[in-house]
Parts: sequence; C-alpha cells; structure tokens
Amino acid sequence: MTPQAARWLTRLYPWAWRERYGEEFEELLETGPGGLRTVVNSIWSALVERIFPTVGGNMNPSLNSFGRMIQRPSAFIPLTMSSIALVTVLIAVAWGFHQTGHVDRDSDEGSIAHIFQLLMSLQVPIVLFFAIKWLRRAPRQTLGVLALQAGAWLAACAPVFYFNL
Amino acid sequence: MRSTRNVVEDEKQYSDPPLLVLASLANGPKHGHAMIEDIVGLCGTRLGPGTLYGAIARLEKQGWIAPMAPEERRRPYRITAEGTRVLRARLMTLRQFAKAGLGRLEAL
Repeated sequence: MTPQAARWLTRLYPWAWRERYGEEFEELLETGPGGLRTVVNSIWSALVERIFPTVGGNMNPSLNSFGRMIQRPSAFIPLTMSSIALVTVLIAVAWGFHQTGHVDRDSDEGSIAHIFQLLMSLQVPIVLFFAIKWLRRAPRQTLGVLALQAGAWLAACAPVFYFNL
Repeated sequence: MRSTRNVVEDEKQYSDPPLLVLASLANGPKHGHAMIEDIVGLCGTRLGPGTLYGAIARLEKQGWIAPMAPEERRRPYRITAEGTRVLRARLMTLRQFAKAGLGRLEAL
C-alpha cells in the first residue's frame, strides 16, 4: 500500500488512538499487501473505534449509561422530531418575514403547521414507550433523557408561542 | 470482516482475534506484521490490520499484553502474566468443549 493511502486510512481513527498506535499501524499498512479487503477492514475498524473507543474512552461502557441510553431509538427519535419541528418553524418564520416584512400570524394553518403538529404529537407515544420501558431499569439516566426530550419539545414550541403563530 | 466475537468463519478458520493474538504472543514478543503471519501459520486465519490493532488495543487496555520498546516504526508486544493466565483458562475451556463435542460426534 502506498504511504499516502496508509496515512489516509490511519487518519480515519480518533486522534487519541492515532497518538498511541498511528505510527506502527501506518507502517503495518505500508508493508502489508493492501487491497480492497485491507481498506474495508481498516475503515470498519476505525468506525468501530470511533463508536467504542479503546483509547481515551470507556472501553466497556455500562449498557444503561446515559451515552448508551441516548443511542436508543426511542430516546433519540423524539429529540430528532423536535429538532426538525423547530427548524421547520424557524424556516417558515424567516421565509414569511422575508416575503412580507413581518411575521404572518393570521394565515390559515398550512402544510407546515400540520407537519409541526404531527412531529410534536407523534413523539408523545414514543416518549411514553421509552419512559415505561427504561424508568424502572435505569431511573437516573432515563430521567436525564426525558429531561432532554422535554427541553427539546419546549424549544420547538417556543417560537410558536413567542411569535403567537 | 472479522469481529472480536468468537466466530467460526468457515470450516477451517477459527476467528477470535484477541485469543489469536494472545496465542501468537505465547511463544515470544512480536510486532504486528509478525503476529499476522504467525496467526496464519497457527490456524489459517489472516487478520486484517484494523482487526489486529482493535484486538491489540483492547488486550493492552485489559493488561493482558504490554508494549515493548519500539524498533524503528514497529513496536513489539509481549504477553503479560495475567494474559498468560487468561489464555491458559480459555484454551482449557476450548479443549474441554472440543473433547465433549468430538465425543458426541463419535457417538453418531
């Protein structure tokens, strides 16, 4: 493998890992046979190292740690929905202001309002599912995630109340 | 792609990268390239560089192997006393498992 390719593959790893193993790993790549299999193997391993770091991170994090908890679909999907709702409202407000010079409060509910309502209401059963499933198993971490979800929900609603939309 | 879980990839190749690395270091310190070739000779499995260093990093963090002084850009590793104990225990378990499994096959 060429030194440039070896260096590029090594750079895919986190900084702390490269500090410890970068030089010897790069040398191994340079002297090895190379090929597609080596490239795929290195990319995959770098990805795994970024997700489950052995250097500069906790190698075996608790299954119920906050970091693991927030990765569960029922935890991050409501957060994502609130974020999308917030961005949608802000874009709508900015677009209305750009078009008319003021925030339009009197227009009928359009598709953006319906999208916002769907995003805000459909996440409620997901949050309930998350709370029911995890509150007894890991109460502290679950409450942390629920607080984050509530904060995101309120943040998405804030422009609606602020602009009286 | 090899994971760090115990996997029998095909009929002749055994793949458990941390165990393979420990077994490779059992007869003396080696650097990465030497480990790959030694493991090929040991069981026919060729570990990818990413898989090898994933196993090395985890074994080092667990204290089962230790780095030695670098030789230019290469760094040899040696197995620790704790690593030797773990390797022996794992191999004993495998031996008991293989003995029981082969015994059942003979009964067929």
